[in-house]
Amino acid sequence: MATFFGEVLSVYSRAVEEDDDDLDDENEDEQIHREIEEKREVHIAWCPEVAQSLEDSGSNKLQCSDLIIAVGTNAAGFLSAYVLNTESWDAVGHVSLWNERSRGSSRQSIALLPGEPACLFYRHRDNPAVLVCQSTCYIAEDQLFQWTEKVFGCLQKRGLSVMVLSDSPVAEYKTPDYLYGSAVPFLRSLKSSASESQALCPALEQPNILTGLPAAVLSHCQVHQIPAVLYQCYTDVISPDSITMETYKPALLCLSKLVKGQPCCPVLNPR
Amino acid sequence: MAARYDRAITVFSPDGHLFQVEYAQEAVKKGSTAVGIRGKDIVVLGVEKKSVAKLQEERTVRKICALDDHVCMAFAGLTADARIVINRARVECQSHRLTVEDPVTVEYITRHIATLKQRYTQSNGRRPFGISALIVGFDCDGTPRLYQTDPSGTYHAWKANAIGRSAKTVREFLEKNYTEESIATDNDAIKLAIKALLEVVQSGGKNIELAVIRRNQSLKLLESKEIETLVTEIEKEKEEEAEKKKPKKST
Repeated sequence: MATFFGEVLSVYSRAVEEDDDDLDDENEDEQIHREIEEKREVHIAWCPEVAQSLEDSGSNKLQCSDLIIAVGTNAAGFLSAYVLNTESWDAVGHVSLWNERSRGSSRQSIALLPGEPACLFYRHRDNPAVLVCQSTCYIAEDQLFQWTEKVFGCLQKRGLSVMVLSDSPVAEYKTPDYLYGSAVPFLRSLKSSASESQALCPALEQPNILTGLPAAVLSHCQVHQIPAVLYQCYTDVISPDSITMETYKPALLCLSKLVKGQPCCPVLNPR
Repeated sequence: MAARYDRAITVFSPDGHLFQVEYAQEAVKKGSTAVGIRGKDIVVLGVEKKSVAKLQEERTVRKICALDDHVCMAFAGLTADARIVINRARVECQSHRLTVEDPVTVEYITRHIATLKQRYTQSNGRRPFGISALIVGFDCDGTPRLYQTDPSGTYHAWKANAIGRSAKTVREFLEKNYTEESIATDNDAIKLAIKALLEVVQSGGKNIELAVIRRNQSLKLLESKEIETLVTEIEKEKEEEAEKKKPKKST
């Protein structure tokens, strides 16, 4: 469309339909989309013993009474320091996936380098129904559902209870009151309706919401009526930080019930 | 700590990524290969063509499109996105002729396409185009040109380049084999394009589509017979080379 001043504006009419008989090309577009989707699939790799137990179980599910998931470096650090610090834990599996932020190792071995973002599973030797998952890699929004379905698909639903520890920046915490510096870091909790556990910290107030893996897990537990409790730690430090990790200590009350006989369970220091 | 940096593509992640642009580049990497060669008096575009079923009618290539009489482009990536870019480019070519009374230079139309692509990396609610393009043609002064654009909106001039699925392999081949001698004649340039594609295309000539523009002529698509003839020539030349290299068994 030529205008009065000689400039030419592009005007597009939605009434004009492109002739759409190039099926070949559409097939290629579909193929491209499909290949990208396949690349984004979530894969769980279990160690041989666990893979064998899954096969032997008949229903392809593991017996699991407690699943503890740590999302974020501080939650994972807390578990490493206070729970996984003994010899009684075995690395039994990992989740590998690819997205733009987790280019993901195609390495098949379970032993990933320390510090590398990953999603690892540990099982207690004396009580193999207790599973711990440390997730420090970024899981994209389109992969969260797959992750949850695949992980929970390996576990028996009956008798299962879940605890999630998750890091969050305090900048995302919404409150009408002013947050004093000394109040940070702090814990907030959220439970599924099936959970009967006592609150160890105040519940997460509205309008705050969970996102990402913790939200996906809790949603799954709510839908499938699995008792689940989540502890979200709001902190002002992005990197791994010991004070932030210590904030998760109240969760040890529940954890120490599971892992009796832990020689190095630290004495709780109530805040 | 998962704050979202790819919801609105205008936002940089803390480590400087534009993830939507990177997703688009993934789509390009999965598209069929295209190669472009700049000769002395000719520019050549070749694309990998999917195999056609036995009884299916041979379709005219859709991946090489004329933008004007003297400019054409090939793309790798999502065809649906390419259509939009091609239409806008075609309109711009004619608009330029009417306003400025001159045909576009290859660089001008490449810059127009690149600017369009860049705009889509900085607008809320839109995603980048999932295509890379090879744009070839001749300017008014008779200079042959080859440009490449990518989803981020950057563009560069090339002597020879490849985009799409096996771009790396083809580019390495071109780096080894693109010399002044190898593109001395028009035919040499065409053969170089075919040789480059043969590196990565399965089952040879029938999976290649080729287009050329010669100086002061418009886009010409090669017929499959012509391509087959050239492929046969190339294979013969290869055999002759191999023969020469064989150690002589004489005393």
